[in-house]
Amino acid sequence: MDRPAAGASYQRFPRVRIRDLKPDFAKFELRDTDASMANALRRVMIAEVPTVAIDLVEIEVNSSVLNDEFIAHRLGLIPLTSAAAMQMRFSRDCDACDGDGSCEYCSVEFNLSARATDSDQTLEVTSTDLRSADPKVCPVDQARAYQQALGGESYDPNTGDQRQVVLHLISLVANPFVVLSCLVHFIPLLLMLALGRGILIVKLRRGQELRLRAIARKGIGKDHAKWSPAATVTFMYEPDIRINEELMETLTLDEKRSWVESSPTKVFELDAITQQVTVCDAEAYTYDDEVIKKAEAMGKPGLVEITAKEDSFIFTVETTGAITAYELIMNAITVLRQKLDAVRLQDDDGDLGELGAHLGGP
Amino acid sequence: MAVDDRDDAAGKEVPPPPSYRSLAAPVANPVDKFALLPAFLKVRGLVKEHIDSFNYFITRGIRNIVQANNRIEARNDPNIYLRYTNVHVGKPSVQVDYKIEEITPHFCRLTDRTYSAPIRVDIEYTVGKQHELQLKRNVLIGYMPIMLRSYTCILHGKDEAELARLGECPLDPGGYFIVKGTEKVILIQEQLSKNRIIIDTDSKGRVIASVTSSTHEIKSKTVITLDKEKIYLQLNQFTKPIPIIVVMKAMGMESDQEVVQMVGRDPRYGDLLFPSIQECASERIYTQQQALQYMDEKVTYPGAGNQKEGRSKSILRDVFIAHVPDYVGNKRLELSGQLISLLFEDLFKTMNSQAVEMMNRNSDKTRSSPSDFSQLIKHEAITSGLERAISTGNWDIKRFRMHRKGVSQVLSRLSYMASLGYMTRITPQFEKTRKTSGPRALQPSQWGMLCPCDTPEGEACGLTKNLALLTHVTTDQEEGPLMNLCKSLGVEDLTLLSGEEIHAPGSFLVMFNGLILGKHRQPQTFAKTMRKLRRSGQIGEFVSIFVNEKQHCIHIASDGGRVCRPLIIADMGISRVKEDHMKELRDGIRSFDDFLRDGLIEYLDVNEENNALIALYEHVDQDDVERSSITHIEIEPLSILGVVSGLIPYPHHNQSPPSFLFEVKVTFLYNVLQLFRADSLLYLLVYAQRPLLTTKTIELVGYDKLGAGQNATVAVMGYSGYDIEDAIVMNKSSLDRGFGRCIAMKKYTVMKENYGDGVSDRIAKPQRDKDSVLVKQNMRALDEDGIAAPGQIIRNHDVYVNKQTPSVIDRRGAGALLRDREYKDSPAIYKGVDGETTVVDRVMLCSDTNDKLSIKCIIRHTRRPEVGDKFSSRHGQKGVCGTIVQQEDFPFSERGICPDLIMNPHGFPRFDISFVIFKYLFYLFINFPNLVSRKMIELIGGKAGLSCGRFHYGSAFGEPSGNADKVEDISNTLIKHGFSYNGKDFLYSGILGHPLEAYIFMGPIYYQKLKHMVLDKMHARASGPRVLLTRQPTEGRSRDGGLRLGEMERDCLIAYGASMLIFERLLLSSDPYQVQVIFEVVCEFPFGRGWNCATADAVVLGSVCRKCGLLGYYNHKLKASYRSMCKNGENMAKMRLPYACKLLFQELQAMNVVPRLKLTEG
Ligand SMILES: [Zn+2]
Repeated sequence: MDRPAAGASYQRFPRVRIRDLKPDFAKFELRDTDASMANALRRVMIAEVPTVAIDLVEIEVNSSVLNDEFIAHRLGLIPLTSAAAMQMRFSRDCDACDGDGSCEYCSVEFNLSARATDSDQTLEVTSTDLRSADPKVCPVDQARAYQQALGGESYDPNTGDQRQVVLHLISLVANPFVVLSCLVHFIPLLLMLALGRGILIVKLRRGQELRLRAIARKGIGKDHAKWSPAATVTFMYEPDIRINEELMETLTLDEKRSWVESSPTKVFELDAITQQVTVCDAEAYTYDDEVIKKAEAMGKPGLVEITAKEDSFIFTVETTGAITAYELIMNAITVLRQKLDAVRLQDDDGDLGELGAHLGGP
Repeated sequence: MAVDDRDDAAGKEVPPPPSYRSLAAPVANPVDKFALLPAFLKVRGLVKEHIDSFNYFITRGIRNIVQANNRIEARNDPNIYLRYTNVHVGKPSVQVDYKIEEITPHFCRLTDRTYSAPIRVDIEYTVGKQHELQLKRNVLIGYMPIMLRSYTCILHGKDEAELARLGECPLDPGGYFIVKGTEKVILIQEQLSKNRIIIDTDSKGRVIASVTSSTHEIKSKTVITLDKEKIYLQLNQFTKPIPIIVVMKAMGMESDQEVVQMVGRDPRYGDLLFPSIQECASERIYTQQQALQYMDEKVTYPGAGNQKEGRSKSILRDVFIAHVPDYVGNKRLELSGQLISLLFEDLFKTMNSQAVEMMNRNSDKTRSSPSDFSQLIKHEAITSGLERAISTGNWDIKRFRMHRKGVSQVLSRLSYMASLGYMTRITPQFEKTRKTSGPRALQPSQWGMLCPCDTPEGEACGLTKNLALLTHVTTDQEEGPLMNLCKSLGVEDLTLLSGEEIHAPGSFLVMFNGLILGKHRQPQTFAKTMRKLRRSGQIGEFVSIFVNEKQHCIHIASDGGRVCRPLIIADMGISRVKEDHMKELRDGIRSFDDFLRDGLIEYLDVNEENNALIALYEHVDQDDVERSSITHIEIEPLSILGVVSGLIPYPHHNQSPPSFLFEVKVTFLYNVLQLFRADSLLYLLVYAQRPLLTTKTIELVGYDKLGAGQNATVAVMGYSGYDIEDAIVMNKSSLDRGFGRCIAMKKYTVMKENYGDGVSDRIAKPQRDKDSVLVKQNMRALDEDGIAAPGQIIRNHDVYVNKQTPSVIDRRGAGALLRDREYKDSPAIYKGVDGETTVVDRVMLCSDTNDKLSIKCIIRHTRRPEVGDKFSSRHGQKGVCGTIVQQEDFPFSERGICPDLIMNPHGFPRFDISFVIFKYLFYLFINFPNLVSRKMIELIGGKAGLSCGRFHYGSAFGEPSGNADKVEDISNTLIKHGFSYNGKDFLYSGILGHPLEAYIFMGPIYYQKLKHMVLDKMHARASGPRVLLTRQPTEGRSRDGGLRLGEMERDCLIAYGASMLIFERLLLSSDPYQVQVIFEVVCEFPFGRGWNCATADAVVLGSVCRKCGLLGYYNHKLKASYRSMCKNGENMAKMRLPYACKLLFQELQAMNVVPRLKLTEG
């Protein structure tokens, strides 16, 4: 690997412009940097921003239809509010306890006790039945209900204005692919959230009982996906679309229309009055080359020129609700900075500590 | 079928066949006939053949058997007799302490019992000297294993809620037996039909005609051979072939003219017969008497003389029909009912003859008052005989010369589909080892009857077949009324006609179930009338009427075992089933049987299909000439496939390797009540899903209710290099979230033995010390009763049942309780994988039929996929998991989609030559838009399904009828939702953040986890157990064996020249042994004195004598090498050789062969 000559600076000054910021959704532009920077941020958001999730389950009674491991797995995937996760200790690094859960620095205890008494209806045990020992850490739907009860409209992610969530859900239903692709299990979760009933853990029939103690710990998505705060983190290169106006004018109206319609996403617009083809949403372009192929098929190569701007990225961030999108981005930057600090330290004394192995050496 | 070459009924009333193109053309507005399929399955069920045939046996067959053998009498006094007046099979029950209790199938499964019902008879018999007649009702003669969901089964006619209460899965089709707790299916057996002449060539290339004839008394095989232009008759009863003319003369046709006339009017026949006639003349046989004499000399057993005549007649009773052995019309399928019926008949007769035997013995001995027969009927024989046959699968019935193995098989419960597949499977009549390709090839007559794709790979390929979706296998129908009907419709008896009349032009022979019934002068009218009667329900719907124009005969068949299928009747190509009929069906006013009764649909068997021209769709827009010859219309094209192959989406779009049946090895839900069962091995998928791209068959069989896999988002691209050879790369986060997670449950049974005298095993509670801490740590899973507690984590070497056995069993303690020290520990120890957490799921206690307590522990293990686990799509592409990669390293799209797994494009199904042939067969069906691999269509179909929120269909040949979505429509849906029409996406590299250079084909594909998991196969050892005899490491994973460096591996090392490695592997790491060799080659001892093995204290190291090259030994007392023959320790050398080699020398010496080691100084 070529190291830069001493003293040469590659420093750039990236700019961030936030376009949209909702409690669990953010869209922002990242400019004046390159793919390595953008991708590093994405990767850290997915895998290295810590959250809290249930990690140890002690089952006292389980007469439900699902077996113990099944329930433990489902519990683990419930997102817990983790605003305090950055300040918590990893259980393995904690010297205040032996990891049995009765420690305020590294773990939070939960209790669940549900029994379907003599009614003919099945009892749905949901995340709302989880009783947390620490009010700061609880299932996200509980937090939201709590905030709603307070009536507070403060800038807290978990206030999650119901309407907005529903709107968000509509957008998800319109494009469920996004959810399914990486979050199979969060579909019911999100639906339950929207309905305000919590995340379903198991259904109990009359006489069945579930009683358990669970310990939530801090962790990162690299270890297990349940600790990943990101539902979706993705970016795209900003496209640079230039229509060759001269060539465009040689087209008939029908040709223009068919050309505009050849794009699977709505990128171009045909003004009905002026009969001008304009770019209406450049970012809707999915680099599918359909319009270019179409132009070639129409015998007009070079009708449009599309390039990706190599130094500007449009990020889309959605969180599971464990932390806000804002926190996710900020924490990711913090984690990234810590990692870079570790690299710098290595230059000083060659001791990387734990990060050394992580970074794969010099 | 139109493709059948035998269909050459080119009479004057048949117009030229229409062009095939027009047949395949889709219809303007077709009547949606699909609803007929569920209606059919509702009436008949998925395993209707089995249940039908068993019902027939229980209600009619058993009665016929008993009636045919209803009287037994003593040999010396026929007045002492017993007569069966009635027989019936009761409800499944078991006798517990003189109390009869009804049993459920589920109870039998759990307690290892047989689900059987008592067979009871009403009898009249004589008692005492005066032979007083006595009647007795409901006498038990045995227990009959009962097929689930048959008439006598308690599950018959129960609805879902009742079934659930009985512990039965509502989706379970039934059709199998439960014998000693295991579920057994009697597979459908393929047989050549009886009483039909099959013309074939034998191994020597001679033309032979053979016929297997069977009546209630005898079964025989008759062969007529054409050898050197002469015709011979071969029968088991004759030592050598008999010239056919001799046989004819023996039957009374003394003049040659008569013989020729009988055979036929054609002068060519005379020429063909000439050599035979000449041979006969050379033997100087002219009269019947001479002929019979000649034949008598050739008879194997003397005394069979009068039989052979009957045989010869039976040969001539049948007429030559050209037959192809693989033609399905010549096949009969034997179902469980027939097979059990044979077994029962044999056992029943044996029981009767034993009773007679005993009666005779009694009366011979005592000469006193004869005992009555009712006491001599023993029911154990029938019960155990039936049970044994079904549980072993060996049908050894000497009475019928039947020796078959593997008739019944354990019902595979790995998956729902596997169980269904077993029910429709047909075992071939041929040996699997036969190398011939003929019987394996797809026969045109299989169309619609047997599934063209569902056959296993390997030796049974093409021999083992499966029934198609709509196939029905007939059961026997009464012959008498039908024969009378034919006679009254103008069939003339042959005996009343002369040879000349028999061969009169225009008149056809009428054959009934293979036997000649007579002649009819107006065959077409006769056939038409018979068919009209069938359509109006006057005669059975499964009676087939087949006019064979070529051979001038009409075949009427009502026998059992024929395959047939329902078809819509068409008048001049216009379907009788109209939209209003279908509406009535959908509204529930009309059932499938109504369609049959109203003559809208009829069953055709393979033979009668030859008289039909079957169109795929109704051709309303064709002109009359084109469609006038169409007689029938298919109900639904997808019904040519079977149950299992119907699961594959778009099977007509590229070849299906037979291996897609691998699907049956998938881990999944097979039964909604599976958690209540105690299967010995069960794999369950944790989050099973319904496929996004389904087929109609999936819905028909209820497979969508029992998910088998998950819709994984698959990106088709290369990644990381760990994807070679069809391996897949998996997303770690997907696995974290539950993709591919499965539960393996294993049953461990412990028996508490009884040794008599009240001495039995006991189960002790775990020992604890004063502070109630366990003495032995491996008992931590145990409850206080000494049996593992449900929910407990159990690890390798843990005890799950703390059993103790009495140390002295044969003690005559006269009931005294044994003391504690008279028991020794024999705990059941769990052998698991270290480091894996397994949990005791359930513990079941039950007593088996011998009142022994059996403890069944079911131990559960939740597994997440790991590297090396096998996965498969529905297209037979198996691939192991090559590597597991973090989600952030996976490629992603700008929508945020990140695949669950990555598959290498080289693994896509290929189009090979066999598919081209397969395709040709179905060429009539569809104009393919393009040859897109069906896995690709599944992907884009699933993607479109996700986008628009609708399950898409991919039924076989379903495009024209709307049962499969067209690729164009799918593409349009994709475009509407902002995807590329071809299903490709623009992805970014997860590692670098750069866009990938190619568009990546990405979308959901239904993936299934196969039962082959690394955890069950992983094996390695450093050192470990050795075999006692050879001192080499043991073999196999179960014995913690070594890994074999075999011949080929050795060859590689030799070729490479790695001699030290060979030395190490083959000697040092295997069975090194030091021996003492006598150095010199010259030996004073002659050969063959044998290896005088040393006394016990000496054999630790062998030695080889230098002088004679024989092995000596090391004497520890003398601390010196010693040779046994020379009796001293001179000239000894030490050397190392494999113990197996030393053993070989010793064994050779034991055989008086002396191996000598010639040593030189090194
Ligand atoms: Zn701690």
